[in-house]
Parts: sequence; structure tokens; C-alpha cells
Amino acid sequence: MMGGHVVIVGAGPAGMSAAISVAEAGCRVTVLDEAARPGGQIFRQAAPELKAPSYATEAEQRRKAALLADFASLGKAITYVAQAQVISAFAGPEIQYVADDATHTLNPDAVILATGVREKLFPFEGWTLPGVLGAGGAQSILKAQNVLPGKRIVIAGAGPLPMVVAAQMTRAGADVLALAQLHHVLSMGSNPLALLAGRASVLEGLGYLSTVLRARIPQLTGYVPIRAEGDTQLKSVVLAKLDAQGQVIGGSQRRVETDVLALNYGFVANAELATMMGVDLRFDEFSGWHPVIDDEGRTSDPSVFACGDTAGLRGSYVAQAEGHIVGAAAAEQVLGQAAKTGQNSLVQARKARAQQLKFQSTLRHTLKLPDGVWGISTPDTIICRCEGVRKAEILGALEHGHRSVNAIKRNTRCGMGWCNGRSCLHSVSALASQATGEPPQTPMTPRPVARPVTLGELANAPGYEVPDDH
Amino acid sequence: MGEYSTDAGAETFQFEFDGQNISAQAGQSVAAALMQAGHRCLRIDEFGTPKGAFCGIGFCWECRCVIDGVSNERACMTPARPGMVVQRQMGLE
Repeated sequence: MMGGHVVIVGAGPAGMSAAISVAEAGCRVTVLDEAARPGGQIFRQAAPELKAPSYATEAEQRRKAALLADFASLGKAITYVAQAQVISAFAGPEIQYVADDATHTLNPDAVILATGVREKLFPFEGWTLPGVLGAGGAQSILKAQNVLPGKRIVIAGAGPLPMVVAAQMTRAGADVLALAQLHHVLSMGSNPLALLAGRASVLEGLGYLSTVLRARIPQLTGYVPIRAEGDTQLKSVVLAKLDAQGQVIGGSQRRVETDVLALNYGFVANAELATMMGVDLRFDEFSGWHPVIDDEGRTSDPSVFACGDTAGLRGSYVAQAEGHIVGAAAAEQVLGQAAKTGQNSLVQARKARAQQLKFQSTLRHTLKLPDGVWGISTPDTIICRCEGVRKAEILGALEHGHRSVNAIKRNTRCGMGWCNGRSCLHSVSALASQATGEPPQTPMTPRPVARPVTLGELANAPGYEVPDDH
Repeated sequence: MGEYSTDAGAETFQFEFDGQNISAQAGQSVAAALMQAGHRCLRIDEFGTPKGAFCGIGFCWECRCVIDGVSNERACMTPARPGMVVQRQMGLE
């Protein structure tokens, strides 16, 4: 075997196809995945003993099966580490992760970050009640656990995911009481050429739409949740219609009794490791802060690559094609030469990515959130769920001149709890931008350790030697 | 068998949640089995706010509870096991 070691963080479509590409080029590959089985969020696998059925379209099931089979077929060339929590990443590159109750350090020749995205929600009164959860999270629970989060479900959000989740929950036997979308689903189809470019995704979408229509799920276009009600768990949600400026239209409120409120208002890139590694980042409203990459996934640090949604939200088709391209580029850099085989499939992957990007650009406007959604919360609404920090405290810090997310964090403790700011950062950033009238200037500074781990796990570091000068 | 589960013929077993018997299927997480039984509140946080599964994929840590005497275990990431004892976590327990 030739030399060279590439570490890939994440095993969704981007990470898996990057791993396949790197392994085929003859490099050693280690894939660090926080899940128990490869697949990431979209291709998440249930435990085999659960014998869970799939509620996805056949096309999606075929894509999933094919990629997982390719990944598994390279099992000897790829070291896959399940349930690995990456706790720090530095230039060098150096990666530390916790797995099997111990901390491990890797110093590979290159790192590929394929850490994906997390769901974006906006805070409103009662959103901390048990029963209010991410729509993608609810979908994961159905997909991986074969359980509906409740019998009666209200789904609300923006972009294509809420409709997909409404269809899958219906197929699994839930009563979906309302599908409240900011933009009507048919507004995604405004550009015929783009629809043609993304016809595979369009066909998958039409399959879900037909389920939603056949089940006669009430569609409330332009409505958002403004209050969740209940004692120790959700009992009802109040939905209201927004005007063009994103302000609640008086008298439009409707109360729906439900067990579950599943929400998705877009995504935020998981960019903590990229930020910790010091690579150049950029902010956009659809992905939050994320690493800047070139066509082959290179960041500003020559030994750090990124691919898929973590480098800007573009969906799973792009992620899978890009993983292939970026894996080949990373291998070429590490080995000092281009792979002799596989050039045809690279041309295909570039074509597939370009085509999908055309389609993805038309979905963008359905993920646009009016500024008014950040004003639906009241002064008493909890913004940082972990530390119980309320909106009035964030606004108070802003009034006292603490304008950056880092300054607000130091003054209010928001973002300092168990989730490390993953649930509230985008809200704090949006509130700060509205108060200051400026776009976000800097991301929140991520510090090791990036995930909560025990002192025992940290101290148990086999093979780690403290340098002499310490 | 739980109220909301689609029975796919997986092996089932019981565990305990705050003194009640809960049915789970092999391969399910603690959070999923509890949802199936209609229990969504898994914790009362140190500020008195009830909490349950929120992100569903492990990053938010909202569903942490006491499992076999160990606090701060994520219900969504912990596979249910026969005879397991799970408790709602209260405050900074």
C-alpha cells in the first residue's frame, strides 16, 4: 500500500463517498462517525434487529442502498469508527476524538470535514415544551427507531423538508393535523429548466406531495407557530399567519390540539471543527458560518478539505457527488499524483454536482425567513435552552454595547451549556444583527472540547505523552 | 405493544421508567420507547423547565436522564436494554 493517511469526519453522503474515493486512490482512510452506523442523517440506518420498514421513496432507498454497499465493500481499506465524538481539531492537522471510553489523537496527512448541518428553528413562547422538536429529528426517530413521536402531529417550516416529513409520518400512520409552510410547496417549481436539471429530486418530491394531497392534510401557507401550550408536555399550538414583512396578522391565530409539533426552518452548518482549525469561513443566511472551499473542496489550509452541506447547504445529491470529487483531490495531494483510474466517474460527479446546483438554487427562496420571525418570541422566551437565558437578557446585553455573539455569550452565558451553542447561536446572531443593523461579523469561538465528555474519557488517553517542556 | 409503533416483528422486552413498565423493541433508543408509551417529558431542568427529546439526533442534550443510576445520559442515543432502570432527571441531579 502507498503512503498517506486521510481522516474524514462524518459518514453521510459526502463523507462516505469521499472515503470511497480516497480508498480507491490507495490512501489509508479513517472515518470518524458519531452515529452507530454509517449513513448520516438522510441515509440513517435503524438497528438491523428492529426490522424497521422504510417510508422514503423507492428512489431514495435505492440511492441509500447503493452508497452503503459501496462503502461496505471497501471495508478493508476504510477504518470506520462508530460512535466517535470529535472533541478537538487543530491545524497540523491534529484530531482528537473520544470512542470506547478513551481519547485518541490522530495526525493524518489531510482531513476532510463532512460534518453536515443541523436544523434551524426560531424561538417562540413554549418552544421548550417536550413534544416540540425538529422535523428532521422526528424523521430520524421514525427512520431509525420505527416510532412515531406521537399520534397527532403538526408540522411547520420552510423549504422542502416539512412536506417530506408530513408524507412519511402519514405513511407510518400518524394523523398530521396541519402542514404550515412559510411558502407554498408549488412555489418551488417556478423555473422549468431548473426542474429538469433536478428531475430526480423533483420526482421524489412529487411522490411525497401526492401522499400529502391524498391524505387531505390541511395546508396552512404563510402560518408559523407563535405559542406552544402545555404543562409538562405539549397540548396545543397556536399558529398565526405572517404578512409580507413577517409580522403576525391580527385575528389569524388558530389553536390546534396536538401531541407533537415538528419544525424545520432550514439548517446551520456544523462548522465548529472548521472554525477550531482556523480555516477561512463565510456567512450566508441558508447555512450560517461555513468553511470557504474551492471546486475541489480545498479550504484556506492546504491539509484541510470540506465537502457537502457543511461547506454550504446544497442537499444530498450535491453532497454525494462532491464527496467523490473532494476525496480524489485530497488523495492526489497526499500522494503527490492523480489517481490513474476513476477519471470517468470524476467527470460524471462534476456533471451531477453542476446539474443539482442549478436545481438547488431554485429551492433557495423557499428557505428565506422574514426578519419578523425573530420577533415572535417575547422578552420572557428562553433563547438559550441549556442555560435558560431569556430574550430580555440578550437584548439587555445588546443595549449595553455587547454586539458580537462572543460578547453576548460572555455576558449572558448563552451558548455555554451542554449543546455548546448549537441550538441558540443562530438565534442570538439574528437578534444581534437586527439590533445593530449589521450582518454577523464573527462566529462564536468554539473551544475544545467540542462535545461533552467525561473527565475519565479525557484522562484515558492511551499512547499520549506529555511533551517534555510542560 | 406501543400505541404508535408499526409492529415489524422485532423482539420486545420491558424496562422501568419512574416505576412504570415500558415496552421496547430490540434496537430502539430509550427516548423512542418512551415516546411510544406517550412519555415525552424526560427531565425538569435546573430552572424548572420541563424538557424532552428536541433535536432527535444527539447534539442538543435536552433528553438527558438518569439511566441505571448514571445521570446526564442521552435518552435518544442510548439503546434500551431489558431490565434497565430509567428516571426522569430533576434539576442538577
